Amino acid sequence: MMNPLALLLTLSSILFTLGLFAVLTRRNAILILVGIELMLNSANINFIAFWRYGPVDVDATGPLFLLFSIAIAAAEAAVGLAIILMVFRHTRSTDLNKLDSLHG
Amino acid sequence: MIAILILAPLILLAALGAVWKARPVHAALLLALALALNAMLYLAMGADFIGLVQFMVYVGAVAVLIVFSLLITRPGDEKAELDRRPGSVVTGLACTLPLLVSLCFMISRLPEIGADAHPFSGFSIEELGLTLYSTHAPAVIAVGVMLTAVMIGAALFARDIGGKSKPPSE
Amino acid sequence: MLLEYLGASDWLISLAGMAVAASTVVGVFAGAFALLSLIERKTLARVQNRIGPNRAGWFGILQPVADGIKMLTKEDIVPAKAEKWLHLLAPILIVVPAILALGVIPYGREWIPVPLETGLLFFFSIGAMTELAIFMAGWASGSKFPMLGAMRAISQMVSYELPLMISALAVVMMTGSLSLPEIVNQQSGFHFGFIPSWNLFTPWGLMAGLLFYTCSIAEANRCPFDLPEGESEIVAGHMTEYSGFKYALFFMGEYLGLFAISGLGITLFLGGWQAPLPGLDIIPSWAWFFAKLAVVIFTYLWVRATFPRVRIDQLMRFAWLCMIPMALLTLPAAAIWHYAGRGMMGWLFTFPLLALPWIAMAVFYNRRFAPATRIYRFAE
Repeated sequence: MMNPLALLLTLSSILFTLGLFAVLTRRNAILILVGIELMLNSANINFIAFWRYGPVDVDATGPLFLLFSIAIAAAEAAVGLAIILMVFRHTRSTDLNKLDSLHG
Repeated sequence: MIAILILAPLILLAALGAVWKARPVHAALLLALALALNAMLYLAMGADFIGLVQFMVYVGAVAVLIVFSLLITRPGDEKAELDRRPGSVVTGLACTLPLLVSLCFMISRLPEIGADAHPFSGFSIEELGLTLYSTHAPAVIAVGVMLTAVMIGAALFARDIGGKSKPPSE
Repeated sequence: MLLEYLGASDWLISLAGMAVAASTVVGVFAGAFALLSLIERKTLARVQNRIGPNRAGWFGILQPVADGIKMLTKEDIVPAKAEKWLHLLAPILIVVPAILALGVIPYGREWIPVPLETGLLFFFSIGAMTELAIFMAGWASGSKFPMLGAMRAISQMVSYELPLMISALAVVMMTGSLSLPEIVNQQSGFHFGFIPSWNLFTPWGLMAGLLFYTCSIAEANRCPFDLPEGESEIVAGHMTEYSGFKYALFFMGEYLGLFAISGLGITLFLGGWQAPLPGLDIIPSWAWFFAKLAVVIFTYLWVRATFPRVRIDQLMRFAWLCMIPMALLTLPAAAIWHYAGRGMMGWLFTFPLLALPWIAMAVFYNRRFAPATRIYRFAE
């Protein structure tokens, strides 16, 4: 029987790996953002896991930290998508492999 | 514990779909599903407030944003979007698998903690709010300033300056 | 906690209680939905000098039944280009959050299906699911008009959700609680012995209530903000490719959402189940709630019959340049109201704070965005 902390940490590390995989393999910029969201989210799971099942009793630090983390993740998504829209407006594409005009 | 055992595989499946699905909209919807299941995981672990905030922000805002920008940036040829370079999968696996293995190794070396090492004490929302606005007030203000800056910045970025952009279909 | 209900020792009892509460809510509001669909047609007919449905039964009272039978027996068409699963899932995902949202509203003194500590937050986060469901409906249909309708619906709902939440936030600031029964309890009592101390009768509450009402029209996709399904422009928006029972589900979700959001508005601003005058407590509390609900719903019908549909740019400009600044203004107004003693001094300070920007905005926007005088070139 695994303890819940180890289970949740495994879940979050697999999620992080999946997110990283998406970032490395996807070509569409928005889908790369999807991968980044997954990675951020796996960090969030860790906050809650350590708060709930961690070795020390800490009041509500996990949820507090999570609130800030969610706010920053939302901001990151908004700015990222705005930048992608800007890029799309100039190049008519969100394929990152085609954005090579500085390649020389 | 049972809830975690049920939800964890579902979250993983949804996330796997979000990573692997070829069609962008499917991937985005599966991401929304994974995040919603994640919110349910928080609810099951006793963090009601956080679970609901997670649901509201991720499903209500981030997923909708992603889906909406997918619609706006639809390329002329859907085909180009569908494929993923065969080499990239190998590269991706080569980079991520060692990471996963090392993470799992570290988790396996975790000192043994019982299912309930400490008595779980929930928190009331009032407590959370009071802590947030007394001890962490500077952080709240910083996040507020950041969000305002982000809102203005995103609006400026996304604005069509002087109508210079090309028409959508050429 | 939310899921501890299931783990409770007398879990069977609580489960049975929840089942009873859930089926009551679903039953009552499904009935109300049927009734409202008739009342709406009758009211619109009355406003437009028509008779309205009068064939099925006495005064058309059986019209909802006839409609229901028609809807259920129609062929269920799924377009060839549609994404089958998403096409099926979308109408379900529209109805489910509406029903869930109805579950946290206090209908009477002891009448609340699920008394959550975070009721208000639950309402909004569940409501967030609707946008994604509408997107799924529009995208999965695989044709142009649903797609356009879904894009309109998403941009409209995202824009109007902000002032909706901020105006509810003013109430949360004053109450100090996210729990809906607590919000209703705080509105008990009367000023001067006869003015109920509802949130609507404070300067910030009046402003927030008006904003909330306007936004709730937009959130419920009703006229004059029914662009997502503007019949004369894009057929039926995201519902174009649906038929039969799925189409009926969309309608049901829309009306249940209307009930939920006006119930929330009543809870936040109109004192929930509180009686409007001191002596009227003898009438049961739930009767007051449903009386208020009927009045609020009637105003929706009235607005629908009166105002023409707005244009999409007007809609977005109204949200971002008028609704959101005014909603943000209610927060400092509520704070000043609190620190000025929640009384006459509060009125003195907060009323100008809210009224002057309102007037200034009206004057400025009228100059800036007023439509040019229309020239009737061919009518003379």
